[in-house]
Amino acid sequence: MGKRLSVAVQGFHPSSFLSEETARLRELVQEKKIISAISGGVDSTVATMVAREALGDKLLPIMIDTGFLRAGEPERVKERLATSPTSLTVRLVHASGRFLASVKGETTAEEKRKKFRQTFYQILKEEAEKEGCEFILQGTIAPDWIETQGGIKTQHNILEQVGIDPATTYGFKIIEPLADLYKDQVRTLGRHLNLSNELSERQPFPGPGLLVRCIGNVTKEKIRVLKEATKMVETSLAPFNYEQYFAAVIENRFAKDPSLETVSETASEALGLPESEVHTEVFEDRVTGVKGDQRCYGLLAGVKLSEESRETYGWLQDRLRQLQAGIVEKFPDITRVALLVKERRGGGPLSILVRAVSTRDFMTAAVSPVPWKILKDIGQQILKEESVSRVYYDITPKPPGTVEFE
Amino acid sequence: MTIIPVVYVKGQYNHLIVRNLKELGVESKLLPPSVPLEQLESMNPDALVMGGGPQSVRSPNQLTGELADAARLIRQVKLPMLCICVTHQLLATAFGGVTEAAQKPEFGPVEISVIDEGRILEGLKPSFTAWESHNDEVVKAPEGFHVLAKSDNCAIEAMRHDDRDVFGVQFHPEVSHTLKGVDLFRNFLHIVEEHKRT
Repeated sequence: MGKRLSVAVQGFHPSSFLSEETARLRELVQEKKIISAISGGVDSTVATMVAREALGDKLLPIMIDTGFLRAGEPERVKERLATSPTSLTVRLVHASGRFLASVKGETTAEEKRKKFRQTFYQILKEEAEKEGCEFILQGTIAPDWIETQGGIKTQHNILEQVGIDPATTYGFKIIEPLADLYKDQVRTLGRHLNLSNELSERQPFPGPGLLVRCIGNVTKEKIRVLKEATKMVETSLAPFNYEQYFAAVIENRFAKDPSLETVSETASEALGLPESEVHTEVFEDRVTGVKGDQRCYGLLAGVKLSEESRETYGWLQDRLRQLQAGIVEKFPDITRVALLVKERRGGGPLSILVRAVSTRDFMTAAVSPVPWKILKDIGQQILKEESVSRVYYDITPKPPGTVEFE
Repeated sequence: MTIIPVVYVKGQYNHLIVRNLKELGVESKLLPPSVPLEQLESMNPDALVMGGGPQSVRSPNQLTGELADAARLIRQVKLPMLCICVTHQLLATAFGGVTEAAQKPEFGPVEISVIDEGRILEGLKPSFTAWESHNDEVVKAPEGFHVLAKSDNCAIEAMRHDDRDVFGVQFHPEVSHTLKGVDLFRNFLHIVEEHKRT
């Protein structure tokens, strides 16, 4: 990707972007106060810094603790942003109970995302009323609204583009300084604003957080296990510089549709292994994918190889690509394929999925070749959790998968 | 400056085409396919690129409004044109070719074998990796076109008009994982610049 990156830098000029955007913001906001919704991620941090350049103390940064953030994250973000060069005083709004209640009983990705969005903006509305603000600033970037408009997934921070007028629905106007930029351009802008590497190169984290990595029904236990698994995966994979890496959780319930009975056969064919060495199960809960520019809320196949083949095939990239493509081409309802890394017989009712991808702009993503030994170590650690019995590695690129699961 | 608008047919990568063109020094923006011809002409464009989208072109009598409009542009505009993914299929059907549901749809990385560089694929022989996302495919190129590239699953990955600078590609040169996609845009620009001179 080296060549394209240098081209990208040529096409985007952070200093001219900054002067145009700050002028626009001053004109728009005038002397009014404005709330900035901070997640701690690079997008909202950079958006806030752009706005601060323009508006100074009229900007009030707040961070909503949704309960779906990583362990200890809200406090860490607040502390980090308080130091130079950001020097932001972030106010935390604790709302984990409200968010959990709002998604209770919802099992599909879109409904969960919509409920999350509703609660998110309801809270912003209350905060805006409290502070007497008519503007909310957020760190929306291009892929957020492109995916929402294209119907791939409902991003939590998209309203106007889907026909919801925030002014009449919530009583405030939304400002999105980065709406036309891609992730790599936001990072370039962050470096231009002298953000520390820790901030400008920060690992992306979705707005609805662990909610979109908790596949299907949301329970306290699933979220708790996911927080633990996230910590382990992030610690083990951080040294590898993949653009994105994380854990997701799914329940071990499997589809019984007879049309799926030949998936194992297809898998063994694609791998060139005898059928006795390949065992495939298709999970019942659906995951998000994208096929032919269309959202495909499809099934996830979990492939288990016999112990010996698993050691040999563990990370033969080409073979695993054939396995994934072979299954997804043949079964229109399957969007994603994951390979079993480790299991514990008689363990709990949950599986953890590990995902790591390389991507420039999150519009396409390639599966990262995490060394097999590292995956096994991660599996070993995660299986210490009582309620987890299996650990898988997702071998689906985007497309036909997406980076996140819901 | 070279001006190349991109016709937006709701594909999620359409924006990336604009980004690629801008990075190559071209003036570009998204236009809806419903743009009236006079309005398009008033922009003085040097060429047109059409993006992909979620619709299917399989039943030409029931095209979505966007695709019907895009087909109108394909027929009326006489400039150099590059059609990507669903508009590659639309280009084929608009000129009398055939698009059907793919026996083996392609998602993610695909190895593209170049049969004939046909200028648009200059320097890309013998093969390169491109990213794809399609359920349908062109199974018969229209008369007056010839096939430039194929893959294991799909016989017509790229085609061009025999006499005009009109090209169709099934894969996505605009996504960053198609490493050589930028070469294809560069080749297209050379063709456009030459067209401007004549």
